[in-house]
Amino acid sequence: MYGLKFPHSARTREIRFVLNGSETSVRVPPGYTLLETLRYVLRMTGTKEGCARGDCGECTVLVDGVPVHACLTLMSQVEGRSVLTVEGIDRQHRLIRAFVEEGAVQCGHCTPGIVVAAYHLLSQVPRPTEEQVREALRGNLCRCTGYVKIIRAVLKAGEA
Amino acid sequence: MTAQRAVGAPVARRDAFEKAVGAAKYASDLFLDDMLWVAVLRSKYPHARIRRIDTSKAESHPNVVAVFTHRDVPVNRYGLFKKDRPVLCDDKVRYIGDPIALVAAETREDALEALKLIEVDYEPLPPVTDPIEAMRPDAPKVHDDGNICREVHLRLGDVDGAFARADVIVENTYRTGAQIHAYLETEAGISYMEDGKIVVVAGGQSPYRDRAEIAHALNLPEEMIRVVTPYVGGAFGGKDDITVQIHLALVTWKTGRPARLVWSREESMMAGTKRHPAIIKIRTAATRDGTILANKIEIVLDKGAYTALGPAVLDVAVENCNGPYRVQASQIDAYLVYTNNMVASAFRGFGAPQVIFAIERQMDLLAKKLGMDPLELRLKNALRKGDRYVFGNVLEGSVGIAQCLEVARSHPLWRSRGRNSCEWPWLRRGVGVAAAMKGYTIGALPDKGVVALELLRDGRVLVKGSFTEIGQGVIQAVAQIAADLLGVSVDDVEVVFADTEVTPDTSVTSASRQLFLAGNAVREAVEALRERVAELEGRLSGRRPARVEFSGGWVFIDSERRYSLQELARLLESTGLGRQVLGVYEVPRVEPLPGTLEIPHLFYMFGVTLAEVLVNLLTGEVTVSKVVSIVDAGRVINPITFTGQVEGAVAQGIGFALMEDAKIRDGYLLTRDLSTYLIPSSKDVPEIEVIPVETEEAEGPFGAKGIGEIGIISVAPAILNAVADATGVEPNAIPLTHERLYWLLKEHGLVEQLRRAST
Repeated sequence: MYGLKFPHSARTREIRFVLNGSETSVRVPPGYTLLETLRYVLRMTGTKEGCARGDCGECTVLVDGVPVHACLTLMSQVEGRSVLTVEGIDRQHRLIRAFVEEGAVQCGHCTPGIVVAAYHLLSQVPRPTEEQVREALRGNLCRCTGYVKIIRAVLKAGEA
Repeated sequence: MTAQRAVGAPVARRDAFEKAVGAAKYASDLFLDDMLWVAVLRSKYPHARIRRIDTSKAESHPNVVAVFTHRDVPVNRYGLFKKDRPVLCDDKVRYIGDPIALVAAETREDALEALKLIEVDYEPLPPVTDPIEAMRPDAPKVHDDGNICREVHLRLGDVDGAFARADVIVENTYRTGAQIHAYLETEAGISYMEDGKIVVVAGGQSPYRDRAEIAHALNLPEEMIRVVTPYVGGAFGGKDDITVQIHLALVTWKTGRPARLVWSREESMMAGTKRHPAIIKIRTAATRDGTILANKIEIVLDKGAYTALGPAVLDVAVENCNGPYRVQASQIDAYLVYTNNMVASAFRGFGAPQVIFAIERQMDLLAKKLGMDPLELRLKNALRKGDRYVFGNVLEGSVGIAQCLEVARSHPLWRSRGRNSCEWPWLRRGVGVAAAMKGYTIGALPDKGVVALELLRDGRVLVKGSFTEIGQGVIQAVAQIAADLLGVSVDDVEVVFADTEVTPDTSVTSASRQLFLAGNAVREAVEALRERVAELEGRLSGRRPARVEFSGGWVFIDSERRYSLQELARLLESTGLGRQVLGVYEVPRVEPLPGTLEIPHLFYMFGVTLAEVLVNLLTGEVTVSKVVSIVDAGRVINPITFTGQVEGAVAQGIGFALMEDAKIRDGYLLTRDLSTYLIPSSKDVPEIEVIPVETEEAEGPFGAKGIGEIGIISVAPAILNAVADATGVEPNAIPLTHERLYWLLKEHGLVEQLRRAST
């Protein structure tokens, strides 16, 4: 797909999974991560890469409803499972609206991962407290905002 | 008619939605079919001579298209102040991030694999990693012309006389660390050929300057290169210098192929620039009533291996090291010293956070010695508008420091100071204050910005400028200023930014200057449009109008006639006058003080930070429980983006003060990822209250002034002053990690005291 080339020696394998509700099939080498697949193979760049080693939370996606680091998730682990990325969240979702209205977005590079993490939180705890929001987002680093408006946005979405 | 003025309105940012849904494209999100993946071989040693580089094995690796070394670079030195940085190292490597070779391959995996096949024959040299040692004449030399990159010596006023008549003298030494920018998007870009030009699309802060650096290194005319800066995933000064741009352009120029280079996080930590670590010694002379007479200040900045923007950083440190106070005399000796550490350059505050940390700790120690309230001491000495600052410059711009201090004095947090005991005997509460200042725009250096304003055929307005959107919201602010001046809705203003092919040069997005520069240039552009309307009317009616007003989507001419902007666009086009005008704004020039580059500035930012901390005496853990940031903001263009800037700066200040500990041993960076180099998380940043003190910057657009950096500058000293208030221990080095504070508390017997009390 999109002319992405793999090394000659790489033996690719077909992996089927459900991506944002659609049956998806990709051919990737063993050891390929979900993040590499999303960004390089499928060119779905809403999921960002911040460190590729599970430290920053930028690549947070849901696998069968559970938040994971796409950079630490091998494709063999998602075979037959359901993946939700930021592109799979309704653009009219109250969380998106709250992020825009509250000014929770600056450079915006961490935002998709945080939106996914917050989306998961609200699915578990519809009206979280500030402490619960802080706890849920502790693995998502942001360097621009100081988190103030991000937390306010999630709380606002929780009130709706 | 727009009911509400656009300036001052809390309008949601235009880029927020597309960023929140993951649709916005950053340089690292761009992929081109048939592109080469580029990887960089970096130095293994902090200091070594290169005897030989053998790339033959890498070149014959499958899927490798080309390997480049210094031999392929037409002009192998670049840099903004001094062209001392090799595009690819030739004679020596001078720090562990130094690039030696580039591999361009058909696959990412093969590019990385081929790096391992490049053989570099090094002759390791003794590294020099302590700036004080590096100043000794017998120290190993980083560059042939010695280790002192630049020094400034100023004798201002009667320093000796001041010390002779002082009632108290306080002397201390302060240290600050190598803070890493740690933007979430690492340095990234793509490149390709288009119409015979090399196009580089990369994260950066100044497309025109990047273009000039690429052109110089490749020995090509600037017109052959186009630089585009899309949304940038954070910069904070760390993308002010060249990162990926020249490497990408080189690969595309030599191969004719599109290329992609995105630094790994580890690469970003090692090869990206840092905040200059500083050692600052201050000796203060004051009278019994708390009047500061003079400061003798010595500043040593660790430059790392290359000059980058260091000389200007040194100047900013020198300019602000006396703090926002009426100091009558000062002796300043400042040194910028090369070492084999990683390169230091611009980082939000640009030298000011280091010296303000020092002077603001010094103020608290002076207050303690005098038995004065630290806030009253600051207020007593605070600068006022019209004052002559220590360099002899009269402060004609807005000077809101006294107002900020007054707001702090009456704030409930400050009034609660002294209630330091907590529920548990091992917890202590403390409250600290610190003030900040920094010049904005680029001071005595020439500083000019140009924007283009185009009236679209449908009556909407297009503003074009080379400002970069690095997260700060400049495109939103520019749109609001244009909308307000032209009396149209903000939604009817389009903004195109940062493309050397389509936007005029608004110059660098740094030094808290861009809103000021671009905003003023937009104002000039609107004036130019007014002039053009007058010319049009002169042609149409044979009489030049006296008044041209824009309002509600109309232009009114001498209150006799009006055209809709759509009609105006049509007339301007059909008469050949053209729908586009340029606005040029140049910061009034000041003569630099002899021996300096950019001292003084005409315009200064001011601010005050209050911090509340809880200190665990058993572990040394400091929890920041509340921060109040009071900012002399001039006129606020958009309250949401304004508070967002300040809150983010405060968070970075908390990291600078307590957490961000770049461990460097013998020139090697030990903390190469975000699990060892910790930046504040949602659990580390408390409630932040931002209070704008709206003074009026007469020269600024709508009275606005720069605010991008001020929020970080006094955070670290406010926190350390609060720790001192809580514990009685006086820490003078940052980052003050748990471990460092634990040992300090132990040294002062606090841990013992507590243990005795509990048994």
